[in-house]
Amino acid sequence: MTTVPLTTSPVETDWAQLARRARWTNRARTSALYAFLIAVSIPIILPYFWLVTIAFSARTGIAETQVLWRSLLVLVPAIIACWVVAMVARNLRRMLAGFAVVAAITAVAFITLVGPSLHLGNFIFLVERDFASVVRSRVGEVRGATQFPSVWRAFWNSIVLAGSQTIIVVTVASLAGYYLSRFQFPGRAPMLRSLLVLHAFPVMTLIVPMFLMLYYIGLLDTLFGVILVLVAFELPFAIFIMKGFFDAVPWDIEMSALTDGASRRQAFVKVVLPQVTNGIIAVSVFSFIRGWEEYIFVFTFLIRNTNWTMSLYMFFVRDDVMGVDFGVVSAVGVFYLVPSLVLYAAAQRYLMQMSIGGVKG
Amino acid sequence: MKSRAWWRQRVNFVIFLGPAILLTVFFFVVPVLIDIAVSFTDLGRSLRVTRFTTEHYERVFGGDRRLTDVMALTFIYVLGTLALFNVTFGLVLALITTSIDKVSGGFFRGVWLLPRMSPSVLYILLWVWVVNPSQYGLLNQILMTVFGLEQPLDLLTTAPIALIIISNGFIGASMGMIIFTSAIRGIPEHLFHAARVDGAGSLAIVWYITLPALRWPISFITIYQALSLLVSFEYILLLTKGGPFYDTTVYALYIYRRAFQSGQYGYGAALSLFLIVIGIAVALLGWRFFDMKRLLQNPRIEVQ
Amino acid sequence: MASIEFRNVIKRFGDVEVIPGLNLTIEHGEFVALLGPSGCGKSTSLFMLAGIYLPSGGELLFDGHLVNEVEARDRNVGIVFQSYALYPHMNVHDNILFPLRFKKTPREEALVRVKAAAELVHVGELLDRRPSELSGGQQQRVALARALVKEPQILLLDEPLSNLDATLRLTMRTEIKSLQKKLGVTTILVTHDQIEATTMADRVICMRGGGIEQVGTPDDLYLRPASLFIAGFIGSPPVNLIRGTAENGAVHVGATVFPSEGIRGDVTIGLRPEHLKFAGDGLRGRIAEIEPMGREILYVVDTDVGHVRVLEHGSAAAHSAGEAVHIDFSPTEALLFRTSNEKLIAGANVCPPRRAS
Repeated sequence: MTTVPLTTSPVETDWAQLARRARWTNRARTSALYAFLIAVSIPIILPYFWLVTIAFSARTGIAETQVLWRSLLVLVPAIIACWVVAMVARNLRRMLAGFAVVAAITAVAFITLVGPSLHLGNFIFLVERDFASVVRSRVGEVRGATQFPSVWRAFWNSIVLAGSQTIIVVTVASLAGYYLSRFQFPGRAPMLRSLLVLHAFPVMTLIVPMFLMLYYIGLLDTLFGVILVLVAFELPFAIFIMKGFFDAVPWDIEMSALTDGASRRQAFVKVVLPQVTNGIIAVSVFSFIRGWEEYIFVFTFLIRNTNWTMSLYMFFVRDDVMGVDFGVVSAVGVFYLVPSLVLYAAAQRYLMQMSIGGVKG
Repeated sequence: MKSRAWWRQRVNFVIFLGPAILLTVFFFVVPVLIDIAVSFTDLGRSLRVTRFTTEHYERVFGGDRRLTDVMALTFIYVLGTLALFNVTFGLVLALITTSIDKVSGGFFRGVWLLPRMSPSVLYILLWVWVVNPSQYGLLNQILMTVFGLEQPLDLLTTAPIALIIISNGFIGASMGMIIFTSAIRGIPEHLFHAARVDGAGSLAIVWYITLPALRWPISFITIYQALSLLVSFEYILLLTKGGPFYDTTVYALYIYRRAFQSGQYGYGAALSLFLIVIGIAVALLGWRFFDMKRLLQNPRIEVQ
Repeated sequence: MASIEFRNVIKRFGDVEVIPGLNLTIEHGEFVALLGPSGCGKSTSLFMLAGIYLPSGGELLFDGHLVNEVEARDRNVGIVFQSYALYPHMNVHDNILFPLRFKKTPREEALVRVKAAAELVHVGELLDRRPSELSGGQQQRVALARALVKEPQILLLDEPLSNLDATLRLTMRTEIKSLQKKLGVTTILVTHDQIEATTMADRVICMRGGGIEQVGTPDDLYLRPASLFIAGFIGSPPVNLIRGTAENGAVHVGATVFPSEGIRGDVTIGLRPEHLKFAGDGLRGRIAEIEPMGREILYVVDTDVGHVRVLEHGSAAAHSAGEAVHIDFSPTEALLFRTSNEKLIAGANVCPPRRAS
């Protein structure tokens, strides 16, 4: 304290100037951040929006953008209006009222500007199995269309693939995750360490030997073979996530179940499992979406077109009908995309919980 | 005669871990062994082995001139995507979306998650339409009407490498974004308050407070995303099929094309082996990122 | 140094109004404590001073200048957080140096000042350590040094002692107080601990529900609490409260009669345990429980007006459970509140009941 006195030096501060500067920098900063986010988000939003407008409006077969621009003309001002309402509104009631007004105006504008162009004709593939020929005949080409299986066949295959894969993964991962989390046994530590290696293991590198293996055991070109492969590849990740959820279950409830006379197996089923429903939901949704989207393995391992999944159906529709009719391709795309998005949105709360448990902070 | 407890332990082990171990051994260990075995054979399209040979390895070390180009391309692709998108842009998105209000931040994160949430076939379909070389492609429409471009661009032939980097980066950025966002959320709020009171501006706070706290997540994302970029080829296969010619054929895709397009399964297996080794090495490196103490924490019930 | 003024300051979080309108003036160099239970708006007020929260309405003035919108970094305040908020990846030296980085202090001078600040709070030996290698008390000192090194015009302390153990708390209390006297910096302490507030501050501001309940010296709050709330909040063990009705020169509580002057209507008598003593006459009762508290003994006495706590000095109990006793108190120390609005009634007094003579 003797060397340098810690006293305030009398400096005149221009508080009004500081306040002005703060106000200005704050506004500039906020606008810059929003401008940046909007700018980088346009390249993503625009194509998706285009896909939807084409699916519901294209008639000529060419990828038109008329409807896209017209609907943007309606929606962009609407979004800006909503934003302004949210900024200006003093309380929740007024904000909701403001939104209602904006929504009403938007709806009217949308119906008059875009409404007339909308139709469901592009979803012909849902009812007409040989839609490729129909589409081609519209532009005068009669031959050369690929023989597509019914879209419902592909849809069913995808459901079977994703669904059974999910059931197996969740069952096996719950059992293994619980054992690794709660049981002491020789070799537990090395097993957990190797689980981490498998968790990060790039399964894509195994595609060549896997193909040969499926061929040798006769499971090539069967859904069952692909299901097993996907299960195995999902498993390390799923076990890892499930172990994390089991780790978080308090020991006390399991101990009291044992004291109450349950065996460990009974305690697992009756007491612990209900505690990790969030984990089970997260792992299920994740596995299901993975199976629903899977492309490379089904493309490589499935050959017959009765075995096509939605991803293959989409791929071949794009390959065949593209250049002839963008509308139908978009409609298939929307049909394929929506289940994924709905699942993600519905389960988002659970998916966020699994993040990457166990990584150092 | 073993005790009942001994038996119960065995039975539990089989019930709980049996299926997982069986699947893992069968689909991880066996394929690796098959891969090693096949890489020493002349297995081709006929799927029949006629002789054993080391010629694939000779090809890898000198005989395959295309391989050098492929590796150079792979290097550019992995490094470029990682540096531009997976780490940098992911970080930028996480920093910005956490510094604006919650609802808007969540909305923009949602937008950037869209590519990851879409099935790969569909996502690439959109890219194909956007960069369509005719004047109907979305990009060309915008460039020609808004920016007055005269001739439509054909990015698929003129800038295919940039295209695969961007299309993969749009997906890759979201992983970093999610991980970094939750890491930023985990930083105690009073540290930011303290720094502001201490005189730090927004950028100084990012530099002195946020980034040091993200050291682990950043290195985690760097390593893991590098590996995933190195081994994945799905989007490239769908977008450019590795072309024009071999211009966008990265190492992993090169394996795929050799094995399934040229039918050289033996050579593909040999090429795979290098990727498998790298994969295992990175996975082992991954141990450093996990809190082993927590992971290996001992169970507190001793009864079996 | 600076004087501070809150003029009808309002703070809302979304639709919730945390502070409905705060008026308060703090003088140059004063040491003020904001005291209140959690959620009373004391930390919010502190954060508004620091510039971490912005007022939703009203005016916040430093030395008579409006600072509502001035950024935290321009306000020249130092703050010590409850959790200390030391930057975990910097060592002690860099932590203390941090505020000087942004003041463009010349390197040489900055290093000297870091050293001086560290010496001031006795952490000169620890400059190379990381926060995680420090004890709670040491972290607290480092946080103080960091707050002081930039020579702030206002020092803000947000529950600075609540994470320390009892002995350390005592030491730090004295140290912070003498440090403040030495530097003369305007200091505002936020705490929910009445002893902390009354021992350290020149003036205590008692807050409740976002408003000020009473402002005064520690003695004021203790001897003349403005309301039942403050009487209950200040003092430990808590004040005894006895409800009754005043009429005809006495407060009637059931059959018990406390002679009194100057009041009518429903009242509450407040009796601090330490102001009560056992005597030959007074409120009759029987000792129900004895709680030794070290230097003092707390008796819980069962009386006609309910349980009454009596605090006596001494380490050995002079009375035993079940013993019949009389409780006496001085009329000047008894408090009288209006039951309806819970406010202190000035100029009234009440005496202990007397044996009918």
